[in-house]
Amino acid sequence: ETPDFISTALRSSDAANWRIVPRKNPASDYPSDFEVVQIRQATRNSLFTLQDHPYIKRVTPQRKVFRSLKFTDGEYPRAPCNDGRWTQKWQSWQSSRPLRRTSLSLGSGFWHATGRHSSRRLLRAIPRHVAQILQADVLWQMGHTGSGVKVAVFDTGLSEKHPHFKNVKERTNWTNEKTLDDGLGHGTFVAGVIASMRECQGFAPDSELHIFRVFTNNQVSYTSWFLDAFNYAILKKIDVLNLSIGGPDFMDHPFVDKVWELTANRVIMVSAIGNDGPLYGTLNNPADQMDVIGVGGIDFEDNIARFSSRGMTTWELPGGYGRVKPDIVTYGSGVRGSGMKEGCRSLSGTSVASPVVAGAVTLLASTVQNRELVNPASMKQALIASARRLPGVNMFEQGHGKLDLLKAYQILNSYHPQASLSPSYIDLTECPYMWPYCSQPIYYGGMPTIVNVTILNGMGVTGRIVDKPIWQPYLPQNGDHIDVAISYSPVLWPWAGYLAVSISVAKKAASWEGIAQGHVMVTVASPAQNDAGGELTSTVKLPVKVKIIPTPPRSKRVLWDQYHNLRYPPGYFPRDNLRMKNDPLDWNGDHIHTNFRDMYQHLRSMGYFVEVLGAPITCFDASQYGTLLMVDSEEEYFPEEVTKLRRDIDNGLSLIIFSDWYNTSVMRKVKFYDENTRQWWMPDTGGANVPALNDLISVWGMAFSDGLYEGDFTMADHDMYYASGCSIARFPEDGIVIGQALKDQGLEVLKQETMVVDNVPILGLYQTPSEGAGRIALYGDSNCIDDSHRQKDCFWLLDALLQYTSYSMMPSSLTHSKSRVPPPTATDHPLPQRLEGNHLYRYSKVLESHLGDHKPRPLPACPHLSWAKPQPLNETAPSNLWKHQKLLSVDLDKVVLPNARSYRPQVRPLSPGESEAWDIPGGIMPGRYNQEVGQTIPVFAFLGAMVVLSFFVVQLTKAKSKPKRRKPRVKRPLYLQQQQQQQQQQQAPHAGRTPTV
Amino acid sequence: MVLRRLLRKRWVLGVVFALSLIYFLTSTLKQEERTFGDRTLLELRDSDHHIRWKVRFNLGNSSRPAAQCRNSIQGKALLTDELGYVCERKDLLVNGCCNVNAPNSQQYICKSCLANGCCSIYEYCVSCCLQPDKRALLERFLNQAAKGFKNLFTAVEDHFELCLAKCRTSSQSVQHENTYRNSQAKYCYGESPPELLPV
Repeated sequence: ETPDFISTALRSSDAANWRIVPRKNPASDYPSDFEVVQIRQATRNSLFTLQDHPYIKRVTPQRKVFRSLKFTDGEYPRAPCNDGRWTQKWQSWQSSRPLRRTSLSLGSGFWHATGRHSSRRLLRAIPRHVAQILQADVLWQMGHTGSGVKVAVFDTGLSEKHPHFKNVKERTNWTNEKTLDDGLGHGTFVAGVIASMRECQGFAPDSELHIFRVFTNNQVSYTSWFLDAFNYAILKKIDVLNLSIGGPDFMDHPFVDKVWELTANRVIMVSAIGNDGPLYGTLNNPADQMDVIGVGGIDFEDNIARFSSRGMTTWELPGGYGRVKPDIVTYGSGVRGSGMKEGCRSLSGTSVASPVVAGAVTLLASTVQNRELVNPASMKQALIASARRLPGVNMFEQGHGKLDLLKAYQILNSYHPQASLSPSYIDLTECPYMWPYCSQPIYYGGMPTIVNVTILNGMGVTGRIVDKPIWQPYLPQNGDHIDVAISYSPVLWPWAGYLAVSISVAKKAASWEGIAQGHVMVTVASPAQNDAGGELTSTVKLPVKVKIIPTPPRSKRVLWDQYHNLRYPPGYFPRDNLRMKNDPLDWNGDHIHTNFRDMYQHLRSMGYFVEVLGAPITCFDASQYGTLLMVDSEEEYFPEEVTKLRRDIDNGLSLIIFSDWYNTSVMRKVKFYDENTRQWWMPDTGGANVPALNDLISVWGMAFSDGLYEGDFTMADHDMYYASGCSIARFPEDGIVIGQALKDQGLEVLKQETMVVDNVPILGLYQTPSEGAGRIALYGDSNCIDDSHRQKDCFWLLDALLQYTSYSMMPSSLTHSKSRVPPPTATDHPLPQRLEGNHLYRYSKVLESHLGDHKPRPLPACPHLSWAKPQPLNETAPSNLWKHQKLLSVDLDKVVLPNARSYRPQVRPLSPGESEAWDIPGGIMPGRYNQEVGQTIPVFAFLGAMVVLSFFVVQLTKAKSKPKRRKPRVKRPLYLQQQQQQQQQQQAPHAGRTPTV
Repeated sequence: MVLRRLLRKRWVLGVVFALSLIYFLTSTLKQEERTFGDRTLLELRDSDHHIRWKVRFNLGNSSRPAAQCRNSIQGKALLTDELGYVCERKDLLVNGCCNVNAPNSQQYICKSCLANGCCSIYEYCVSCCLQPDKRALLERFLNQAAKGFKNLFTAVEDHFELCLAKCRTSSQSVQHENTYRNSQAKYCYGESPPELLPV
């Protein structure tokens, strides 16, 4: 017993006054070898005795830890409750496209939030001077204050005589509002974080500020304004440009091209990664571009902020794999910056984190003697090489880690032009940093694992890869057990390019288990700046480490169909849950590592191996897989795919389809006028492409309907929510079909009527008849396995379906369910037809337009990887790949910092005069601009009406209390009756009121 | 009679007033939105005064070799220097000028440019724009069309800067904001925007 030897130990010293502090928490139910001992006197001696005792490992002084609550905000628009009142709001669909470029910090709610959240004030970490926390003062003391660096702030403007700024070189307006001033406070705040010189200090007070007003006070902005403003920024030779804005449309080519043009002109672009977290696949453009520094947000306790958008990039889907973004993270929650007119306020959002980095970059640029060396690539290299990795957070959340200003200073000041890689190594075993790679080992026969590495080239705006990248397996470390194929940008421009490494297991390791290592060697060349014809070259190594396991059995392997998932951009593919009116587009990529991440994690925890098919169905070996999983597919199918799938299922492959709604009337209803592109947007499919799916499954006598259903129900003791799904219209007679009572949402959307339909067939299970053939499971709604807007998950159902498809084990909870209904065979109900005049062919990989008719294209060839010829090495890799992969030949010791102190916590007390200037962070709204335009009008109107109404109510109550001058008049019996009735019905306010007629 | 009495009640009047207020607010705000969204209105508003441009056309000096050149910096493969030469990156001299003796260097070249003054390659657009005979065209543009770009062309100082700025894609290059009017020939030195291609 612990207390016994503690008392023996203490008896030998002269401590008399001590006690063991009892544990009064739930953990005390469990045994522990840990005790808290309180000693009142002779502490030193008794401590030594305790430490010397053979049974006591360690004695540490007790510290009490106080932490603030980390709940972000109650007003995060999670699932709305089913209050039945929403039906009237369908009209607001027409408003406009919320997914335009938005400024990334604020919903309007924030700016009006004064005191609404006062109760939360004490719980929050006290906002601190972000420049001092990042130790900018060390660089200030060395005389670097950002002088000579031109910073552009693209935002909502800045008022002329703001007391915080001393070097505003120019203010320009690119909007249609005739003002240069900031009417929102966003632009002022951002400019303040970069360059404020008093109160809440910015990073680079002496930098030359160029204010570009590209957002109106209504937060409107257009691509064309940006194009002209960017041109001006190039003309003015801006060095650093902060864009605290973003939007999901990475296919806005004029904008994306213009951002490339800017960085090609040596403008260092810093941009906010987006406020759409914690959902994955929510990166915003332009921060998701390789040449831009994309910044995510953390709080002052180094947790990734909930709002910060998560990777991966979705440009590369379905054939490739996303890049790692954000690049770095920094403080973006409760940061203090300049208030709109004066004073300071605190604000949250990635649009706060972005100017923190932009300010740091400005300050860093001013420390470099030879400014020629500072370019978008070298700055980004310095930032990511110096970033401090946060423990327990994966790379799609934190990028390379947290900004470390002083280390970046050291690196930048000993920098010489070179190429580097991001990520700088591939360790598929390292968890959690290398999630999702580390979550599933690779095996022979699996789809190649693709790692999309970004090459940063600090040597010049344009570069190329010399010869070919070389794959060098380490023979002592089983490097020959893997095959590697490499594809890369033909030209690295501007400053960057990709290097996609596909890793596959060699045949000889089909039943081998272990770790294999090697590296890829890349040489990058750029034209030299200072002598004609010469070239600068730089060689980088990309270490590779993978875990190989024997190929799992077929039944354990699930194939996710990515090829048939389409998304915004470019087309209007509507949400799968029609209630989510503020987020009408399906834009997260529908990948197992973006918005189906939870489902993927669940399947992994259940022991399934999930692979992704980024090519047509004709391109995989079905004998390897137990189940093909098709969720929320929007794409059409090649006739060859239909035939092949049928053959595969006859040969034992099983199929699970999670469909979604498709109703042409509803699709017409959810069209809207997009103010960003100034045209009407009509969806090209429903939630899923049901007519195409019906073509695929019709051979088995199955079809989905164009019904649109919604509602809560219980299935096999699980609470379920059906969020805008379709029903099963046809199913083979010997199949099992489950029906539920659901609301007809189509009727609700179209006519605002509520009707409950009984026995809507939503789930079907079917064993195809031939010998050894596979099974098919259909479910009408995908929302319950999708992370975006999910209310109740149905992973249990997916498990049950996989049990059925993979092992032919019929889930008894479903077969014996009371909800079983006879399979629908009704031919009276017509199947859904494709919406006439839809433009799916514009975005489809399958369809093309032939004189107004849409026909399938010829089937494309399956992707073919050419494996790199290995050049085996007889060496071993260092055990820690990360530490060894920093920038090449940077001598950190050369750059010494004066009194470079380690982290000093600086909790700055509130000075009395300042306090009222503080604003309370009202939490982050996913701040969608259009939402506001769409809804501010009714809000205004409603407020106005409320004011008027309350005025009258006050009048009425006054009238009641005041003795009224009565005019003599004859009361008519009719009137009396009326009045009496009134009195009976509503006793309180109107009682006793006499009308003054 | 009942109706009239009803109308005299305060709460009825209040409701009527509130409803009209709602209607008024929504309709005005909606209208405001529409006008804000319309760029052309704004451009017309400015049309009464000319912008003052300060471009100095330093013609004639572009034939002699310069000690130091500015160039178009951004190109993937090509560059244009301020003398109007287009060359490959490897043929760029230390002083920023194109090596005029390199086989691929050419001056005032309008390759890839269409009759309307729009080119598919930026560097050729700049080179073509630097031709001395484009001066009249550019002056006309500065006098008439440049105000659409607001501040941009007031800050341009000489022929080279003007051509660099003029050839860039701009608000005139797009339709529906997120698509090029003509994704093939989008760099224009001329007065007219790129020809609108059907989707």
